[in-house]
Amino acid sequence: MVSGAGATVTPDAPAATVHGRTPGFWRRAAASPTLIAGALLCGLLVVVAILAPVLAPYDPSAQNLTGGLLPPSPEHWFGTDQLGRDILSRMLFAAQVDLRIAVLAAATPFVVGVALGLVAGYVGGWVDAVVGRLVDTVIAFPFYVIVIALVFALGAGETGIYVAFALVGWVGYARVVRGVTRSLRGAGWVEAARGGGLGRARVLWRHVLPHVLPQAVVLLMTEILLIMVAVVTLGYLGLGVQPPTPDWGAMIADGQAFVTTKWWISAIPGLAVVSTGVALSLVGDGLADAWRVK
Amino acid sequence: MSRPHLRRLGRLAPLALATALVLSGCAADSGSPATDDASPQPGGTLTFGRVASVTSFDLNNEITANNAFAIDKVFEPLVAFDSTGTIEPWLASDYAISDDGLTYTFTLRDGVTFSDGTAVTPADVVFSLQRHRQVEGPLPLEAPITDIAEGTEGTVVITLSAPYTPLLSELSGFSNGIFPADFGGKTEQEFFAAPVGTGPFVVSAWDPAGDLTFTANKNYWQEGKPYVDELVYKLIPDDTQLLQQLQAGQIDAIDEVPPANVADLQANDATRVVTQGSWEIEQVFFNTQDPHFADVNVRQAIAHALDRDGITAATTFDTAQKADALIPPTIEYSAADAGYALDHDLDAAKTALAASAYPDGFDTTLLIASGNSQRAQEAQIIQSALAEIGITVEIESIDIAAFRQRFFAYDFDLMINSGQSDAPDPDGLVSFQADPEGFSQSYWTHYTNDRVTALLEEGRTTPDGDARKDIYLEIQQILANDVPYIPLFYPSNVKASTSAVHDLTVLPNGSVRFQDAWIQK
Amino acid sequence: MTPAPARETTAVRSTGAYPVLRAAARALARVVPVAVGVVLAVFFLLRLVPGDPARMILGERATPESVAALRTRLGLDLPLPQQFADFAVRLLTHGDTGDSLVYGTSTRALILERAPVSLGIVALAVAVSVLVAVPLAVTAARHRDGIVDHLVRVIPTIGLGMPLFWVGLLLIIVFAVTLRWFPVGGIGTTPLDPLRSLVLPAVAVSFGLVPPLVRSLRAQLLEVMSADFVTTLTAAGLSERRVTYGHVLRNAALPTLTLLSVYVASLIGGTLVVEKVFGINGLGSLLFNAIGNRDFPVVQGIALYCAVLVVVVSLVVDVLVAWIDPRTRRGASGSTGRSW
Repeated sequence: MVSGAGATVTPDAPAATVHGRTPGFWRRAAASPTLIAGALLCGLLVVVAILAPVLAPYDPSAQNLTGGLLPPSPEHWFGTDQLGRDILSRMLFAAQVDLRIAVLAAATPFVVGVALGLVAGYVGGWVDAVVGRLVDTVIAFPFYVIVIALVFALGAGETGIYVAFALVGWVGYARVVRGVTRSLRGAGWVEAARGGGLGRARVLWRHVLPHVLPQAVVLLMTEILLIMVAVVTLGYLGLGVQPPTPDWGAMIADGQAFVTTKWWISAIPGLAVVSTGVALSLVGDGLADAWRVK
Repeated sequence: MSRPHLRRLGRLAPLALATALVLSGCAADSGSPATDDASPQPGGTLTFGRVASVTSFDLNNEITANNAFAIDKVFEPLVAFDSTGTIEPWLASDYAISDDGLTYTFTLRDGVTFSDGTAVTPADVVFSLQRHRQVEGPLPLEAPITDIAEGTEGTVVITLSAPYTPLLSELSGFSNGIFPADFGGKTEQEFFAAPVGTGPFVVSAWDPAGDLTFTANKNYWQEGKPYVDELVYKLIPDDTQLLQQLQAGQIDAIDEVPPANVADLQANDATRVVTQGSWEIEQVFFNTQDPHFADVNVRQAIAHALDRDGITAATTFDTAQKADALIPPTIEYSAADAGYALDHDLDAAKTALAASAYPDGFDTTLLIASGNSQRAQEAQIIQSALAEIGITVEIESIDIAAFRQRFFAYDFDLMINSGQSDAPDPDGLVSFQADPEGFSQSYWTHYTNDRVTALLEEGRTTPDGDARKDIYLEIQQILANDVPYIPLFYPSNVKASTSAVHDLTVLPNGSVRFQDAWIQK
Repeated sequence: MTPAPARETTAVRSTGAYPVLRAAARALARVVPVAVGVVLAVFFLLRLVPGDPARMILGERATPESVAALRTRLGLDLPLPQQFADFAVRLLTHGDTGDSLVYGTSTRALILERAPVSLGIVALAVAVSVLVAVPLAVTAARHRDGIVDHLVRVIPTIGLGMPLFWVGLLLIIVFAVTLRWFPVGGIGTTPLDPLRSLVLPAVAVSFGLVPPLVRSLRAQLLEVMSADFVTTLTAAGLSERRVTYGHVLRNAALPTLTLLSVYVASLIGGTLVVEKVFGINGLGSLLFNAIGNRDFPVVQGIALYCAVLVVVVSLVVDVLVAWIDPRTRRGASGSTGRSW
């Protein structure tokens, strides 16, 4: 019998009990240095992002055409960009923008993917087959074709990003959730619940879902990160957030011409993205440990 | 000519025009370089990095730069313009204009042959120009031509129904190049797949989605030229990569230089930068059908609110020249020094706005094409400047295809775009931007001014001279006061090469006369 | 006791009549709907996007007449159902989605010319990632919860948070510009050049591949390593190394292999950014330009090509996994049905 930390979710040892409680979760969570480090870092980022208006020394849009491209100094800790705007202030506000977009864009795929995975895994049959083909099609679709086409079609702004990820991002959750759901389908307690007269939807919602959520949430952490990186990349391609809204991707792209001479313009927003990535990964890994999912 | 590709960093921008390095205004027969002391060494392959590929050699059906500047290596016109925009004899060694301005007689240069060795005859000229008229391409001959025919003894005669001063200028364009009559016996398609012309280079290997290799035309009429044996147009769609490959020595020269990097390249001994005044004008356009911008007071207020010096310095890194008139100094009759433009004066801006129907300001949208970081910076500066007089601007940055769709449908309030001339004569540019009857309806602004329209007509028929100059100066003054568009700056054409490449002659339309270039061993 | 499967694999059983034919039919049943779905989706999605390819080809100052003439010549003013019918016919008879509106050459020729380079980047990236990820995961699993384990779990995640173009730029600056070990971009002309030119792009891509592979493989290894059969083998006297690489890894690799195939799928259609940063004229940069120019046939062609390739790759991986999986090899029960 598989035992010990790090075990995968199997039909014999669900991560959550019938009533949705995970024995020892908080104990393991508190003992996991990765989760603690990640949570602290994430918390710090969120706090900084929320407090951006308070923390920023300058208005992120305040231009000073004669004071452009200044190196870091006591007045401007991170220097100024091409239009003389304070990079530190723009970084803080960009944190707000990018984190918000990443979290919002990750929400719909999460819901859709978990739902589809539950249904496909539980009902099986042709529903499963159809969702499976849908998954195949989405995976096979070149990601950029969808994203770029949608961004072009929906015009400037964030809508294109949200729609694109909603259409494409649900696949990972669906696969994972479907797998777990399938393996739970034959479990004794599930059949008992059905036999006791509970409707399928009720069983799914109250009994299957809690078992499925841990893996889905762990995946969510990675997905938020991937979305953020994708938004940053779209900014590099000139398709991201509208100017003058500060956004790490656009800031990196703006600084690309100066990458050998004034490297901080691109490097510092890049570091911000990396830090957020590390934070989210740590949280994801830590949660995986605490929930004993893969 | 416009560039249909997506470019991330904006246009090229050179040094101040006043100090523009004019490399060798190449006269017809002489080949002596103007600035270089060393004498040209023949041989070698010149690899030229460009951001777009060459998709067609059908000169009468093309207009965009990526094709035009390959076409002009193969086909040549009767007359050509040099790097200062001055028209000089080319395939025609001489030309005469009748007193009434209705008859132009061109004498073909002796001994000119196509690259396959067959002699160029007046029949070829007639065929080429007639075909251009029949095809009705994107860059047509606007002149009121009634007849093109062979004249006596190796001449071609073009007859007009009315005087048309810009004719020579039009004829100097790449789309009026000369090719063999009847396509040398081949079908049109066959001919343009393997084009034969009088130009300095011959196509040897061509991937429409990739690189293009030319070899030197052994039968070229300019003695000793081209110096290089081979010219390669290498496709490198990313401007940062262009720069990096040049700096690493992987290629010899590049077609565009991000303005931010010009200074670095100049400071580096291993590279050299060539700048040339261009025929482009970066402008803010008003849709005068929009209720706010129908009011000239609003437009003047906005013009006063913009610090064009600041914009030019910050977005082009001093590689462009601030624009004070529509016609750039590289074109005849420019009013760039006449001081017509409304200057940066916030008080005057507020006064003008107060005199309009919107004294408290209003909300509006500025449309730009995405993928152009320089333009995005301009937009942000303008947004910030207009906020100071109470006008709230939202920037709408959409991809270039969608952008074109929008402004073609006149679905915009403000937009930033680039005006351009294809020829040395001011008529083409000004008509496009100020003629309400033209297909663009004054560059999509719907600007109508009867005096300007009348002046335009006069300008076409008045021969070059002071009278004509006054006409265009007046037009520019009216435009400066009415501001249907605000010229921001004149970008320059900037090319860069390794220090081994000499005599890269850059023309004001952005093309390079590669027959003058040579590589030092 | 054998560990119960947490992930399922395709049952490729050698039972029943005409096994190969049935397997082929099943494979086709997967490829065809996907291909059709992608083709339809792209065809109509593209036409929803504003923008006229003729205008993109001729630029802004071309006369409306010449643009209209070009539209007619390219067949763009035909009614949409007819355009689709023509397109479908051409696809089924010639295996080509049409001539490029911009370049004039057949899309199939363009794809065939450009695909090898992009596939080369993907293949090299996978190779590099696997070569890096496997030892890292094994080391981490063997020193579970130690310093090494934590380092291996955290450090690769730095790569996850680095956007590909940023990594690429850094690699160019360090290895190409400063150290001059590799070209800054492009493919190069001498025979040895293509491989050299693809190293930095492949390494850049692997920054994003290694972290998930390490995570997945490490977790799988941990699960398998604590299984009874491992204890048995070790007790029987097999060296740890032999046990690890010979037996544990083979079992543990399967779900990671499936995960890898998903990532490869996203790479096949996603070399766009890495090609842009490194100036490589592959399928990705062709796709990017084609979308910008509204070159419908090319976008359709590339999308279809990627879709088919992705499904083929996942089928191959499924077969591979089933072959490696000792459970299906023995024909034992344990595979609980098809995965997606």
